[in-house]
Amino acid sequence: MIATFNSIALWTLVKREMIRSLKIINQVIWPPVISTLLYVFVFGLALGSRIQNVQGVSYAQFLIPGLIMLQTIDSSYGECSSSIFQGRFMNSIQEMLIAPMSALEMVLGYVLGSLGRAVLIALLITGLGALLVHTWPQNWLLYFVVLCMVSMLFSSLGLIFGLMAEKFDHLAVLTTFVITPLTFVGGVFTAASMLPPLLQRLELVNPIFYTIDAFRRSYTGQGFLPLWQSLGMIAVLMILSLAISFRMMASGYKLRT
Amino acid sequence: MSQPAIEIDRLVKRYDDFTAVNGVSLRVETGEFFGFLGPNGAGKTTTINAIVGLARANSGSIRVFGHDTQLEWREARRLIGLAPQEYNFDRYLSIRDVLIFQAGYFGLRGRAVKDRADMLLERFGLASKANQEYMKLSGGMKRRLTLARALIHQPKLLILDEPTAGVDVELRLELWHLLRELNGDGLTIFLTTHYLEEAEELCKTIAIIRGGKIVTQQSTESLIADGARLQDVFLELTRA
Repeated sequence: MIATFNSIALWTLVKREMIRSLKIINQVIWPPVISTLLYVFVFGLALGSRIQNVQGVSYAQFLIPGLIMLQTIDSSYGECSSSIFQGRFMNSIQEMLIAPMSALEMVLGYVLGSLGRAVLIALLITGLGALLVHTWPQNWLLYFVVLCMVSMLFSSLGLIFGLMAEKFDHLAVLTTFVITPLTFVGGVFTAASMLPPLLQRLELVNPIFYTIDAFRRSYTGQGFLPLWQSLGMIAVLMILSLAISFRMMASGYKLRT
Repeated sequence: MSQPAIEIDRLVKRYDDFTAVNGVSLRVETGEFFGFLGPNGAGKTTTINAIVGLARANSGSIRVFGHDTQLEWREARRLIGLAPQEYNFDRYLSIRDVLIFQAGYFGLRGRAVKDRADMLLERFGLASKANQEYMKLSGGMKRRLTLARALIHQPKLLILDEPTAGVDVELRLELWHLLRELNGDGLTIFLTTHYLEEAEELCKTIAIIRGGKIVTQQSTESLIADGARLQDVFLELTRA
């Protein structure tokens, strides 16, 4: 009797993704932690000492949730896009394609594997924040809800680009020209309230602004936007991105001829 | 009479304007050692890809032990083990984990899977390399690992795409011996090869494909009756 949902295959893929992350730990786990450490020292502690409190906390404390989002977005996209592209490139993804494994199980496997890596990185940076600048989440439920939604949004986006890419170089297009710029202007280093009115309005068309604003609320209890608006935007984008990645996987896009 | 292991009915597969498989119909009986021969580009690998789900047919149907590969794909795939021509192992896993994770994708886990992985590694002479990465294996060992991985979920049908391509004579004979043993245990084997003596030695039935069409399917015995050499028959049938 074949189950209608192959949960063993799904968890096998999640485990495989976690093993992959740990095998390349110097490439994917430590760099975001080290770069966060540098951001905290340079921007938070050195330059930040000249900035007054933001949202009721020191600038260094204000930075931490934004930096967690920065690394969550980067690692989620990077994990899924490179893993699936490498699987296509090496043909190792055929191990799954010939198995009784559905598109849904494959999408969830990649996305949850990527979430595992994002949570690990986020917790390490959270630990750094607690240790160095004495800040930690006040609302752990909101912390994990936003973390999971954002990771799933960007890992499914990684799946889409990992499926579309013809060479490794293509994977960097989205990060270099879209994700990184939008993340840096999306509130990692500045609160929207610090910006002039025109830029505040422009922030509203930056999807990453919503992710950082919602996540920072789990630390400071304050946000520029109402929580429902930020969470609603993240949820819509996540569902859309997951639906597109599922559709591409189900159609066998660049996987089955 | 038992259900055929593979039943292909008027399979057509096109890539843009090129028709790779053009109305192929085949029947492979359960327990048979079946040879599928043809020159390069004749449609062998496309047919295999259609059977295992890597290629989607434009028309026609494929049944594996009675299960339609489109409608009952989970059941059909569960019964197939594929040993592809190219090595496509997961580079992040050890040799033993390659087998265990493959079983996982097929919905299997637990002690029984680990024991079977160890048994296969032992049987294929890979036990001492169990914790190494596949890239450290010799060509012959990689070939054996391909077979072991195809067998980890205990399929009823083993599809071999050029299993002895590029291996030395000694290993080829060793692989022949293993394949005969597996077939003797009741496993149906579907083999493509460019080595005609291999097909002659191992296969009970042979089909020859040319330009996406089957040009003959008959028992090896009748194909080389009257002292004909398989090579001559092959060349005659596949010559443009």
